[in-house]
Amino acid sequence: MKYGFNLAWRLFKHEAKRGELTIILFAIILSVAAVLSLSLFSERLQGALTAKSAEFIAADRLLESDKPVDPSWISKAKEMGLDTTQQVYARSMVFGNEQMTLTSLRAADDGYPLKGQLKTSTEAFGLGEVTKQLPATGEVWAESLLLQKLALKLGDKIEVGDKEFTLTRVITDVPDSGFSVFGGNPKVLIGLQDLAATHITGPGSRVDYTYFFVGNSADLDDYYDWLRPQLNREIHSWQSVEDDDSRLGRSVGRAEQYFLLASLLAIVLAAVSIAVAAQRYSQRHYDPVAIMKTLGASKQLVQRIYLYQISFITLLGIVLGSIAGFIIQQLVVLAIADKVNVSIDVWHWRPLIIAVFTGMICAVLFSLYPLLKLFSVPPLRVLRRDLGAGMSSRVLQFAATGSAILLLMWAYSQNLQISLILFVSGIVLVCALLAITYGLIALGRKLGQGKMGAWQLAWARIKRRAMDNSVQLISFSVTIMLLLVVLVMRNDMVSQWRDQLPEGTPNYFMSNITEQQRPGLEQHFTQLGVETDVFYPVVRARFVSINGEKIRTEISKEDEEQKDSGRNGLGREANLTWSDTLQNENEIVAGKWLDEWQTGDEYGVSVEERLADRLNIKLDDKLTFNIGSEVVSVTVTSLRSVNWQTMQPNFFFVLQPEAMQGYLPTYITSFHVPTQDKAKIAQLMQPFSSVTLFDVDARINQLRDIVDQVSVAVEFILVLVLIAGSLVLIAQVQASMDERQQELAILRTLGAKGSLIRASVIYEFLIIGSVAGLMAAFANELTLYLLQSQIFEMQGKLHFEYWIIAPLVGAVTVGLLGAAGCWRLLALNTSQLLRKMV
Amino acid sequence: MTTTPNVMIETKNITKVVTTSEGELQILQPISFKVKAGESVAIIGASGSGKSTLLSLLAGLDQVTEGEIFLGGSPLHSMDEEQRARLRGEKVGFIFQSFMLVQSLTALENIMLPAEIAGLDNAKQLGQDILEQVGLAHRGNHYPNQLSGGEQQRVAIARAFITKPKILFADEPTGNLDAANSEKVESLLFELNRDSDTTLVLVTHDPILAKQCQRQLNMQGGVLTDVTSTDAQSAQQQQAS
Repeated sequence: MKYGFNLAWRLFKHEAKRGELTIILFAIILSVAAVLSLSLFSERLQGALTAKSAEFIAADRLLESDKPVDPSWISKAKEMGLDTTQQVYARSMVFGNEQMTLTSLRAADDGYPLKGQLKTSTEAFGLGEVTKQLPATGEVWAESLLLQKLALKLGDKIEVGDKEFTLTRVITDVPDSGFSVFGGNPKVLIGLQDLAATHITGPGSRVDYTYFFVGNSADLDDYYDWLRPQLNREIHSWQSVEDDDSRLGRSVGRAEQYFLLASLLAIVLAAVSIAVAAQRYSQRHYDPVAIMKTLGASKQLVQRIYLYQISFITLLGIVLGSIAGFIIQQLVVLAIADKVNVSIDVWHWRPLIIAVFTGMICAVLFSLYPLLKLFSVPPLRVLRRDLGAGMSSRVLQFAATGSAILLLMWAYSQNLQISLILFVSGIVLVCALLAITYGLIALGRKLGQGKMGAWQLAWARIKRRAMDNSVQLISFSVTIMLLLVVLVMRNDMVSQWRDQLPEGTPNYFMSNITEQQRPGLEQHFTQLGVETDVFYPVVRARFVSINGEKIRTEISKEDEEQKDSGRNGLGREANLTWSDTLQNENEIVAGKWLDEWQTGDEYGVSVEERLADRLNIKLDDKLTFNIGSEVVSVTVTSLRSVNWQTMQPNFFFVLQPEAMQGYLPTYITSFHVPTQDKAKIAQLMQPFSSVTLFDVDARINQLRDIVDQVSVAVEFILVLVLIAGSLVLIAQVQASMDERQQELAILRTLGAKGSLIRASVIYEFLIIGSVAGLMAAFANELTLYLLQSQIFEMQGKLHFEYWIIAPLVGAVTVGLLGAAGCWRLLALNTSQLLRKMV
Repeated sequence: MTTTPNVMIETKNITKVVTTSEGELQILQPISFKVKAGESVAIIGASGSGKSTLLSLLAGLDQVTEGEIFLGGSPLHSMDEEQRARLRGEKVGFIFQSFMLVQSLTALENIMLPAEIAGLDNAKQLGQDILEQVGLAHRGNHYPNQLSGGEQQRVAIARAFITKPKILFADEPTGNLDAANSEKVESLLFELNRDSDTTLVLVTHDPILAKQCQRQLNMQGGVLTDVTSTDAQSAQQQQAS
């Protein structure tokens, strides 16, 4: 036992000192460093993004309730170290300037908002500034829309319920106001202390109570565990930013998936490099094993020596890799500090555990087969040098490494689907590559014929080293493919994000534009240099029956655009629009869009899917609307899913244009005014006081801000993976260079010119690099298609440019690396080369 | 077990057949001979005659197709790989044409290797002593590729003798050396062999080196014949076959 350890330690020490362990040690360091830096960075980044997203619900967690909750729940939260506050929402009529309008009233308690910022200004449509306080007793703050609707100015009195308030500030941004363009009625904010005096929360009124909680996630989880048994699903709803289905939520979610993907690919990269290194390591030790066995070492002793040695290497690799990974991550965080505020104060253990686990599993599982081979080297090799390992089973090797990779990916991602996608693509690639390699060899027999020059030498080597080359080709291809996946995925994702909110995205919406106002408004806007977007015609109608069966039509206090909980009917007048074209982010989920509808007796209508579900509307149902005294009946031709979070007007009912001829619509449109030109708004709107203006500028800026931050983060992840991948490529070329050493020495000894040897090696690597690049491009398409369609919910597309770029870049990179490695070997003189071979 | 006392190696009709792509190939015809303890025997023959194959069988590095081999009285032919390794560790030393030193161990550590494998506690001391004997005390910390061919072979000889083996197998020990180094290595080899009373089996195609052994066996096309002139040995050979 002792001797095994001593011998292993001695071998390890000397080999490490002499640089013989560099490749395998480097592979382990790389895998641990890549996994640690990526997962630590993404964990911290996710923390930062979650914190940022938390601003959009003004807290880390929300408890929504139809009734005030038991005060002990709140005191328990405080006891458990959480910050809390609350807000009461109600829809209420507000009277001012001898007019009245429906508003969305918020009565906020001290501390609101716990996350994010409340911004106010001193003029309607003015630039907001961060406001720390809340309205004092007797004061009210309101959105510009209210000032516009009721022609109010600061200092005016308004009545909310039974209490009179003084309007003291204009709200420009409320953190938790959602992303719907038509956020409903103007928001009005009062202090919670004034709510009772308004008497609007009496019996029968529809009031929502929201409780905000902030704290560290462990405390929040503990609190929820305590709270959960007491919640009633009918009236309580617990929410966190992760539940956020908004575009922001999805962007962050997608980014998280991307980080996960990148980390998984880093694991695969690490696995590939360790597998290559372990194979090389094992081959280098054939002689020592044969010698030890000849000198009487039992198989058991040999096993012990090498298991010890692998443990030493793994341990050192993990320690160095952890340090390197931590430093890399720290550097990245510092480098992007001005763009994304990622906290480096919080230490996360999970990434370290994952990294150490990955290093260990990779080192153990991927060196298992090479080690088994090593143990089987016969002692007779001391006399017959051509004898290799006694054991050889490619099937076992592929099965062992394959299942190890799959297990690692699955264990790490806890997502079988994403793991299987990457794995299956990998298998397809490996099979294709094996076929290609043998095809190449056959081709090489033809191409490599003729007088022996660099080209012929290159082909001869490829042919002779068929199996080694196929392993090498596979590892190059997998590496290039993984880099392509990360690169192309990032490009597709970021461009899609940017496409959603391009420069000039409308940040103001107008409704209630009459037919008569429309030409004047367009002219006025054009004169002031502002372009208006599409004008959507809208007719207000009362939805009265489905298939002749009457539905309840009374207007409830519920705002249907924001909530889905109404069951009896639409609850208010419907906005009908008509169009031949399906809007963006609307998707037909059943039936046919209106342009494919064969008009018979009745015209068609497309209904929003969730509304249809709630009101039990089916395809081919007949819907009846009352427009004034007129009756319009239409047949449901399609159901649409609608993304309500898009910054565009969306409609429950879209009718065939022919159905609405003869009705006088009002219009909804949008326009873009840069944030810094906000002052222009008053001038633009001044002649059209009856037109309602919705300001979503602040929301759009916030969204864009987050998308930019996520994009920067994704780019840095990409750079990290690219660096890791390049290092793996270098390690692979380096490993294969050592294998070529002997041949170079012989060629040199026989008097071959350096230029001939160099050219032949470069040709060889160019051929391998270009084939690997091409194969990687194909495999990349398959992987991306599966990932984008199954995981990222993105539209998959082909990337033909990479079919050219990948082989070229593969050939150039691998060729250059090969040339560099070859140059290093050729710099040695022949006798040094021969000595290195011994 | 039917071995003659005082006989260190005894073979009885051993053959070696290998399978090639063109069918079976008999490398060794039935061979029987004995080597006494302390005797030095040279196996000579041209390249490809089968002498290295015979050496590999005698040392237990490979297995016979048919026949029996006794090494120090132990039936090598019926042992498995592990038992043969143990036997080698206890009784056998090796010297190879290509030295076969572990490249990542120093000269001293290479020498210590068999002693450590055998579990000897004083491996280092033994190593240093024998390193001095072969005249390389000052090179103990050098790696094999920092030594000349002659020095490497002297390290290999030191390694072979550290455990005081009963039998030493040498495969072309001077095959990779120049004349001057060959001479040095040869004299060292025979000197240590004499001092340790080791049985030496030496494979070579160098007739001068072979002459230094007490007996010479000639291998030709897988057939072994004794070419030693002494009558006693001749008689012994006949008796054995």
